[in-house]
Amino acid sequence: MSDLKLRVKEMIIDRLKLEGMTPDQIEDQAPLFGEGLGLDSIDALELVLGIEQVFGVKIEDEASGTKAFRSVEALTAFIAEHRKA
Amino acid sequence: MTDIPGHLPHRPPFLLVDRILEREPGVRVVAEKLVAAGEPCLRGHGPDRPLLPEVLLLEMLAQAAGFLEADSLHGRAMFLAGIQDARFQAPVLPGDRLRLEVSPEGAFGGLMKVRGTATCEGREVCAASLMVKRS
Repeated sequence: MSDLKLRVKEMIIDRLKLEGMTPDQIEDQAPLFGEGLGLDSIDALELVLGIEQVFGVKIEDEASGTKAFRSVEALTAFIAEHRKA
Repeated sequence: MTDIPGHLPHRPPFLLVDRILEREPGVRVVAEKLVAAGEPCLRGHGPDRPLLPEVLLLEMLAQAAGFLEADSLHGRAMFLAGIQDARFQAPVLPGDRLRLEVSPEGAFGGLMKVRGTATCEGREVCAASLMVKRS
């Protein structure tokens, strides 16, 4: 697992308080919302805030959110693309 | 002077904000609520030692958060969608003048997260994060 992908998974677990869950239990390709992790719109806002705080990447609108939240893989790619450091 | 009934659709006995002390829409709101001895919620909570129900502090912060919106909420809707990390540090008694401070932490997908604190004479009585749905 890439270092960034692992940090993304750790951020998801930490921010959404998915207690008892480990990074390897989150599938790279599984959708974050609905099926898959089953997150809701409040979780989406938490993730937007977490991504900004941890990685310094802003998700400005719903269109970028829809793209970024397709899966952990997609989110990692989005962060890698928009991260300045 | 902010026109409170013109902005919020809430009415007594459930209008829980008396005055707006500071207001910068989208950035910060400071409101005030005087907990009067005759408040309906104090009559049954409780008869021997009246005490403001702690959950109403969350509603006060939510109503104060309504003033973060620049436009009036009449004909629109704002719903409380979530409460996180709520702490109630001290009881609120009749006669207490509460200072309600709210500021947004972020927004996404029609939801806004707001951090709020209620203080009485400089002492924090409640702190919480509220998720508010806007439509």
